[in-house]
Amino acid sequence: MVGGNTMNKIRKIREFVMAKVFMVCALISVLALTVIFLFLLVNGLPAIREIGLFNFLFGRIWTPVSHPPSFGILPMILGSVYITLGAIIVGVPIGIFTAIFLAYICPKKLYAMLKPAVNLLAGIPSVIYGFFGMVVVVPLVGRISVLLTGGGTGASIFAASLLLGIMILPTVINISESAIRAAPNSYYEGALALGSSPMRSIFFVIVPAAKSGILASIILGIGRAIGETMAVLMVAGNQARMPISVFRGARTLTANVAMEMGYAEVGSLHSNALIATGIVLFVFIFAINVLFTIVTRKHKGA
Amino acid sequence: MRKKLGIMALVLVALVGLSACGGSDEGFATNREINVISREDGSGTRGAFIELIGLQVTGTDGSVVDMTTSEAYIANGTSIVMGSVAANTYAIGYVSLGSLNDTVRAVPIDGILPSITTVQDGSYPLFRAFNIAVPFEVNDLTQDFIDFILSAEGQAVAEGRGYVPVDSQALAYAGAHGMTGRVVVLGSTSIAPVMERLKEAYEAINPGTTVEVQSAGSSAGINAARQGTADIGMASRDLSQAELAEVNSVTIAFDGVAVITHNDNPATTLSSEEVRQIFAGEVTRWSAVIQ
Repeated sequence: MVGGNTMNKIRKIREFVMAKVFMVCALISVLALTVIFLFLLVNGLPAIREIGLFNFLFGRIWTPVSHPPSFGILPMILGSVYITLGAIIVGVPIGIFTAIFLAYICPKKLYAMLKPAVNLLAGIPSVIYGFFGMVVVVPLVGRISVLLTGGGTGASIFAASLLLGIMILPTVINISESAIRAAPNSYYEGALALGSSPMRSIFFVIVPAAKSGILASIILGIGRAIGETMAVLMVAGNQARMPISVFRGARTLTANVAMEMGYAEVGSLHSNALIATGIVLFVFIFAINVLFTIVTRKHKGA
Repeated sequence: MRKKLGIMALVLVALVGLSACGGSDEGFATNREINVISREDGSGTRGAFIELIGLQVTGTDGSVVDMTTSEAYIANGTSIVMGSVAANTYAIGYVSLGSLNDTVRAVPIDGILPSITTVQDGSYPLFRAFNIAVPFEVNDLTQDFIDFILSAEGQAVAEGRGYVPVDSQALAYAGAHGMTGRVVVLGSTSIAPVMERLKEAYEAINPGTTVEVQSAGSSAGINAARQGTADIGMASRDLSQAELAEVNSVTIAFDGVAVITHNDNPATTLSSEEVRQIFAGEVTRWSAVIQ
């Protein structure tokens, strides 16, 4: 059976080659990550060294084209943090309640409508959110802001938080929902059998059981919010000064890079400082991912 | 099911939109805060505006400071400035004259409305040059395209788009005979729309040639011309000394910078000093400039 042997050999070679092909594909994402990180470091680190790490991270003034220029990104770091915090305040309660509703209370017919709607929300391009925000949310917030503070355009931390809160909903809802569904049904039934009402059972037995999954959804939501660029750029006002009020504008790290990159003279300190802003953003995202890994790992151990 | 949902969503959006518009007919309250809208640092339009209006202050020690108020809303594009001003009764901003349309109102400066005529005769003070960055050595096709831009035909195209020709006595385009090939033009987002028209006109006269226009920002354009990745770079600002050491700068048209407000704004004219004070944050209420 010589033929059978060669067939076997060919099959083995084929298996071997394909396994390598798959491995190369898998390595591409790692390679991309490495190349991006190296790009950031090579272009950004000299800029940070020239500006001084302390002046860069804690400088309160960003005037890149003045002479002498000033490159302090503290306003943008705070802008990103405040707007993300606002988005969490808006999006997380709605998201978690929706997830509970979808997993336990929602009638099947309504579910068939709600679930696609949530997924569709995730698919809307961020520039559309931004445009919606610019035309509808900003004027609305402007009216509220004038009513409450006597001024303001509406392009503000508040408007950006509102919009981002909506944008992180799909992330929070979908991951929380699967976490809640993963909690054993016997917990729920047990709670009911012990005499607690359905709501009580959900909130005091199921939600604590799904705690780490829900936490993970919040962390991923934070990641989504902090990395969002276009929508925030269109509604946040983008003032590069320390945030002063939720009804006034602020600039995020992402907006800072996106706005000025096309105009910064290539190879200048300005453009390298923008890349260095990218490093700071990268560190933020990295920290969020580490946090996510820790939270989900704990879940598996329990 | 999805269709129903879509309709529901649309109705919701319409309702919210209406509620946002409703009640805006209270008139113009001059005691309200001026909402200043500016462009991002490094933008050609901003650079020209602050220099012309006197917001760019040069110190005796050689320092150059942009005095634009830090409270200004920063919009990263002409269309976003226009959209924001159109949506905000108390806003003021500035855009390229060629992009102006009736969704906003151009304010006369010192009594002069911006237009091709007033920029040309010098009575309107705010205008800037549209430049192209050209390597010292160019091929025949690139040179011919530049000749076309500066010819009577090319300048008419620019004027048709609302820009001011460099030379109203430009000679007619001589025409290249049987030229083929490709010219890559890259740079300023402000110049790209008029360059598109120039490209169409040129390609119609010279079949067999292709002009590729890419918008990426002034600095990206100049850099591409320096490195030879583009044949021509577009820059809506003046080139720096370092840049001029490596490429030539050619002015292809002038562009007025229009100061714009909401259509309901009653200001009949602003002096350039008032505009400066508004953008510097020294004047913060409309009542200070509207009687």
